[in-house]
Amino acid sequence: MESNATTSRITAIALAFMAVIWVSPFSWLFLNAFNPLSTGQLEIPRAVGLDNFALAVSGNAGRQFLNSMLIAAGTATLSVVVGISAAYPLSRLRIPGRNAFLWTLVLLRMLPSAGVLVPLYFAAQRGGLLNQFGVIIALTLLNLPFTLLLLKNFFDTVPIELEEAAYVEGASLLQIVTKIVLPMSRAGIAVVWFYSFTGAWNEFLLPLIFARVQDAFPMSVGLYAAFGQQGAINYGFLTAFSIIYAAPAVGVYFLLRRNMNTGFAGVGVKG
Amino acid sequence: MKNQANPWLTSNLLVLGLAMLPAALLIGALLYFTAWAFAFSFTDLALVGKKSVDWSWVGLQNFERLFTRRGFLESLWTTVVFVFFSAIVGQSVLGFLLAALLRGSQSTIRSVVEVCIMLGWLLPDIVAAFLWSATTSQTGLINQLFVIPFGLPPINFINEYALPIVTIANIWKGTAWSYLLFSAALDSVSREVVEAAKVDGATPFQRIWMVQLPIIRPHIATNMLFITIWTFTYFPLIYAMTGGGPGTATQTLAVFLYNQSFSRGNLGFGSAISVAMLVIVGLLSLIYLRMLREPK
Amino acid sequence: MLKKGFLTTVAALSLMAAAALPAQAEVTIMYPEWIASLVEPGIEAYKAETGDTVNAIKLPGQGYDQRIALDLSAGTAADVNVVDSFMVSELAAAGYLQSLNDLAAGWDQYQYYLPGLLEVASYQGNVYALPTDTDVRMLWYDKSNFEKAGIAMPWQPKSWADILDAAQKLKDAGVQYPFQLPAGIKQGEATTMQGVYMALLGADVPEGDRNRLLNRETNQWIGDSPALRRTFDLYHQVFVERQLNPADLNYATDIGAAVRQALADDKLGILASGSWEDACLWDCNAPPSREERDALVGWTPWPGSGEPGTKATTNISGGWTIGINSKAADKDASFKLITSIFDEGNFKAWTLANHRMGVRTDISESPEYTADPFLAEATALAADTTGRDTIPGYQTVSALIQQATSDLLDGASVDEVVQGYHDALVDEFGEENVITYE
Repeated sequence: MESNATTSRITAIALAFMAVIWVSPFSWLFLNAFNPLSTGQLEIPRAVGLDNFALAVSGNAGRQFLNSMLIAAGTATLSVVVGISAAYPLSRLRIPGRNAFLWTLVLLRMLPSAGVLVPLYFAAQRGGLLNQFGVIIALTLLNLPFTLLLLKNFFDTVPIELEEAAYVEGASLLQIVTKIVLPMSRAGIAVVWFYSFTGAWNEFLLPLIFARVQDAFPMSVGLYAAFGQQGAINYGFLTAFSIIYAAPAVGVYFLLRRNMNTGFAGVGVKG
Repeated sequence: MKNQANPWLTSNLLVLGLAMLPAALLIGALLYFTAWAFAFSFTDLALVGKKSVDWSWVGLQNFERLFTRRGFLESLWTTVVFVFFSAIVGQSVLGFLLAALLRGSQSTIRSVVEVCIMLGWLLPDIVAAFLWSATTSQTGLINQLFVIPFGLPPINFINEYALPIVTIANIWKGTAWSYLLFSAALDSVSREVVEAAKVDGATPFQRIWMVQLPIIRPHIATNMLFITIWTFTYFPLIYAMTGGGPGTATQTLAVFLYNQSFSRGNLGFGSAISVAMLVIVGLLSLIYLRMLREPK
Repeated sequence: MLKKGFLTTVAALSLMAAAALPAQAEVTIMYPEWIASLVEPGIEAYKAETGDTVNAIKLPGQGYDQRIALDLSAGTAADVNVVDSFMVSELAAAGYLQSLNDLAAGWDQYQYYLPGLLEVASYQGNVYALPTDTDVRMLWYDKSNFEKAGIAMPWQPKSWADILDAAQKLKDAGVQYPFQLPAGIKQGEATTMQGVYMALLGADVPEGDRNRLLNRETNQWIGDSPALRRTFDLYHQVFVERQLNPADLNYATDIGAAVRQALADDKLGILASGSWEDACLWDCNAPPSREERDALVGWTPWPGSGEPGTKATTNISGGWTIGINSKAADKDASFKLITSIFDEGNFKAWTLANHRMGVRTDISESPEYTADPFLAEATALAADTTGRDTIPGYQTVSALIQQATSDLLDGASVDEVVQGYHDALVDEFGEENVITYE
């Protein structure tokens, strides 16, 4: 909106104000993370130190970080690849009832994870997939309804005239897809990848039950080391660990944002 | 299957079919697993104990219980209120507004706002619950900064205004998704169309309302479906924050489901609740689907 | 348990899964994080002695029960598993645990286990797991608030009327939480054990199990009894009629922390809780010294209701156990690992360091144990304790009880709540498995 400068200035200030309010609850997180004597209260720490962070990275945190990365990036990539392969035909070929089918699939995901996880677990066990790879496949599978529907919507908005034009100029199917459709849907694909990534990054239950050895746990499981027995929570550890745990996801976001929100970068249609 | 005259499609039907195969296989597996969840609602399956090995089919008994057992209808109402305000009104409207507003802004303010809302989304649910409790409790941020300095007695917000607080927390947590989706969706609106509208003298508001919104209608409908489903079944944040309390003030269907399935060990009944939820959201989605039927 | 999505046991599928179990050459063990200091030295000692490999999986406390249940049913559980005592009977009923009677007979330290506690981990006469620790329950109270309210100390209430009386005085003196009685579903077993059971056991005479949830003779659940009504009435008095306690602590995000905070802020009067609080009453990371604690809080056993013939004080105990998977490849090696963990030296050191209550007389009568004033006194309560009615179905009953307290807090009348409880029991277990007492 390039209306006059004052409106944008006001908007900017309003947005800045909103942003400050939005992150104010994080004060608790930081105050406790840097407080070696933290008790979970919202208070100015009497002592400041990095002890909690040291505790958070000790132990298996490094290994867990790698596991988290593997599972999250693996799931996101597999989801997007499988999703694109199916979403393009779904978008372009007039298969009857495809919308209803996709929406029903998405609705089915409302059934409780408990019911789905158990047969899933048994199947994975029989297939020798009780490992990271199994977790990736399982998460991709569970995400697929959302992935497909989202990608199909984005492909739908790519004007078919562009593809026609390219075909007339002698492009093959593969070229049409890779040179026209995918770049135009870049934002959508990036969003779907990011969504799958963060979903998998935060996934606790599947890795917990699939893991057969100590070393297979991702950071989402490691977070719970903060919870002792009888509800004694080590808040210092919890908050410091959360910061370390959320940081890579934020980092991935920064890497991707150029793709997810390109401003007015959409390619125009010529004629 | 009529494909008009799109020769690059018709001549490659086999390839396209094969491309769909991996997804088809995974979908098949998903359907298989989901069928079990559906089947459980007709049994008296339990988590542990005798009924976990010795279960039997009980027909529609679980569904009858939905209406006779205390709690289902109240939870349903609480959930509807929660979903309406936090998801439909909160997350998607706010997400869209931010997406529209930030599109033309300079990168600094945009980066700042984006990171802020992203942080909410990326924080693990359990930590977010503690964070919100620390903000709205009797000794929390709001009280410390705004209530006590004015000489007023501290208000236990999370206890006395449980549902509104939980709603706000959910908006805080989930808006980033709607924002991301709408940003990407607005991206796909072709520049020419918007320029043409501008040339025609449309104000920014008119440009959004009459040009961009209709074009991204499928995205809006899809997003409504997604966030309705997610919020209907969303459990961790609410349970951790208030346990469904005080009393049953924040007992949404997801919390009710958890109490029935896990503290009770009643997986059969729990599945029936989920099936009921599915039917309800299914009906809602018919409304959303109407939005998809755009006059072309 | 705060996670969404859970695991369940499915008979038909476990048939398929059982066939796929690969052969294990080593001994495996699963345990939750918080018991690591007991288990890990035992593992090291076992490895040193036998040279076998041990594949240990340390799990977070969250979702632990569910993972155990799922693994046991799928046949993928470890050979040795740490299990919460109240799950033992249900797991044993489903055939997942190995009976230990024969294996234990050949172990010289077995004789020291307190029989009452072994019973809790038994099913139909066979012991299925060995207890790791236990606890007792009592009323803690804030001394400075009691002084403010003018209540004589050391406080020794003899009936419920005494408790309510003290709570009233505390309320009049301006204490925010005069009597924190656990209630509601979020507190889970805490509501059932520290709240309902403690009151119930003193609400009627013990004969015929009138003061329990289950008639242990006939194995019928009690759907209605004077004891239940009196207990529910107590809740009604505390939360609704006399408004002796606000309910909000029961729904806090972190209930333990909220309670401890209330205590630290001098807002708490009486707390119905248990022996574990001694280790961690304020700040688990830096607990105050024994003298400081004694100056700030005291404790007294839960009195009975005061009705004729009821117990003078009541107590109930829980705790965790370690058991062997019925599908374990090498049961002798598994048991050897268990004996290594429970070996007197290791077990005693852990019990003392963590302020647990001993489950064996060789530990509880040892000089180091009796030298700790709190443990010595608290163990006296354990002499007259009982366990939960953990026959299969207990988890459902416990959940119904928690729901009942939740309904009471909501304002439902005692009659309504009892009716609802009774009907739910009949619905769950069938008419013939539920009885009522007049």
